[in-house]
Amino acid sequence: MDADPAARLRIESPDREICVRAENISKNFGGIRVLENVSFEIAKGEILGFLGPNGAGKTTTVRILTGFFPPSSGRVWIAEQDLARNPGRAKQRIGYLPESIGLYEDMRVEEFLKFSGAMKGLKSAARKEQVAQKIERCGLGDVRKRLIGRLSKGYRQRLGLAQALLGDPELLVLDEPTNGLDPKQIIEIRTLIRELGRERTVFLSTHILPEVSMVCDRVIIMSRGRLVASGTAEELEAGLKKAREILVTAGEPWRRDEAIGLLRSLPGLEDVRVVKEEPDQVSFSMTVPADKPDPRAEISRLFVEKGIALLEIRSARLSLEEIFMRILSSDDSAAGEAS
Amino acid sequence: MRKAFALARKDANAYFQSWAGAFAFAFFFLVAGILFSIVVMTYSKISLDVSKGYQETQGLGLTRFIWGSFFANIGAVLIFLAPILSMRAFAEERKQQTLELLFTYPLSDFDIVSGKFLGMVWFFEALFLPTLAYTALLHWLGVEPDWGPVLVGFLGFWLLGLAYLSLGLFVSSLTDNPVVSAIVTFGLLLVFWVLEWVVSIADGPSARLLALLSPLNHYQEFTVGILDLSNVVYFVCFQLYFIFLAMRSIEARNWKG
Repeated sequence: MDADPAARLRIESPDREICVRAENISKNFGGIRVLENVSFEIAKGEILGFLGPNGAGKTTTVRILTGFFPPSSGRVWIAEQDLARNPGRAKQRIGYLPESIGLYEDMRVEEFLKFSGAMKGLKSAARKEQVAQKIERCGLGDVRKRLIGRLSKGYRQRLGLAQALLGDPELLVLDEPTNGLDPKQIIEIRTLIRELGRERTVFLSTHILPEVSMVCDRVIIMSRGRLVASGTAEELEAGLKKAREILVTAGEPWRRDEAIGLLRSLPGLEDVRVVKEEPDQVSFSMTVPADKPDPRAEISRLFVEKGIALLEIRSARLSLEEIFMRILSSDDSAAGEAS
Repeated sequence: MRKAFALARKDANAYFQSWAGAFAFAFFFLVAGILFSIVVMTYSKISLDVSKGYQETQGLGLTRFIWGSFFANIGAVLIFLAPILSMRAFAEERKQQTLELLFTYPLSDFDIVSGKFLGMVWFFEALFLPTLAYTALLHWLGVEPDWGPVLVGFLGFWLLGLAYLSLGLFVSSLTDNPVVSAIVTFGLLLVFWVLEWVVSIADGPSARLLALLSPLNHYQEFTVGILDLSNVVYFVCFQLYFIFLAMRSIEARNWKG
């Protein structure tokens, strides 16, 4: 990374209201540090994607934010309420959908929502109204009298969302909300999340990248208990020094090794590899650092010179997936050097 | 406190709808019914013998005999009942992974523990109904017991039940398996039960201390209609102690993984 990642964690425009502020939170489990000095802010109304490979400390962060357990050090504010000092008031502002949500299997949908409402301190009249409203909002009308144990995974997830929405919290914390759903359900849940994001702040923890690029305004990437990057997808890409990916497709696959040799001989091309091999064509991919000139003209000249049929040559922008992989691998190599 | 009541209501409902609750009901009705019938039949047989002059009449008070022996025996039944009632409290929530939700709702730990405890207590109190019905039945048949000692007996039974349930609540907060919770609770209650015997085989300060710790020793006085404040204090302390431990146990999530 070119700049101090912490610098970009602060929200640039100071006029935006802050909904969540986490300051230097760390967490140890029996001497093992799983979170290290994590700080970030989320503006009101923002949908923040929280990315990281499994085991990076995402769920731990989520559990700290929702007050399940406190951090070993550091502080969290939810809508100006200190989570450690005013847990009741801070938690009142959070709606939480845990990963693989556990529900009371032998309760009925409506009964469970009424119970959740009571737990959130809604009085009887308000509770009735809220429950009806959230059932409508999350499309649970058909199953309101059904036993939770008999619900499909998609409905369970909606029910989880419905209970999170009860009491209209300012902040919605969703931990892997589309985990284990089928593609249709995933699309439905994502649409629902995006709609909900119009009215409130959403903290979306996930390891599914397309989800983030589809739904989120901003992304935070976490690796091994530390924040390694933050920003919009475009900013993250810029942070990778605008590395460009070039895809070259050539005919005559039997001359593959010759073509690789040619490409490797060119200065400035990195990570040259075969990505696809078919009977009549072969594709190569490579990256070019931003400070090097566009090599496409040079590549085509060289191929023509050697008489290799050049079928296609194009420059591709990095997908969020690739950015993610690169940030993580650069983090891994940095850790390797450090140790 | 309103939230704790809502939690208790949910738990009590869950007991009424669960197999464990149904089993507890059936088990308790059956055992209490058999016990009471046996006690009443024995009493009538003895009274018959007395009327024919076969036996001494001394010490054959109706209240003392019927309710005294009934309470003394039903107290032992609680050792089996309390583990079944308390095993679900936290262990079931852990098993279903609903505890995470509960901890992130705007509830204090005290709300959670007291709600859980109250839920069990309400269900336990529902089990009282048949025993009250026996009393009412005898009353209807024209048997007029000495009401004071009977009420003291019920009070003792209630306090003993609450004490056992608080111990079960604590054990349940330690595990994610209801069956383990039930077995461990049963084991601990057995130890407390055995404490009573220490008095009969040993003497000396340590034996007396153990006897003081035995819940059944304190319960015994209730069964014969003696209302001693120190016994009430003992049971209240017993409950508070284990509720306190249960609070500590769920707070442990704050510092361990």
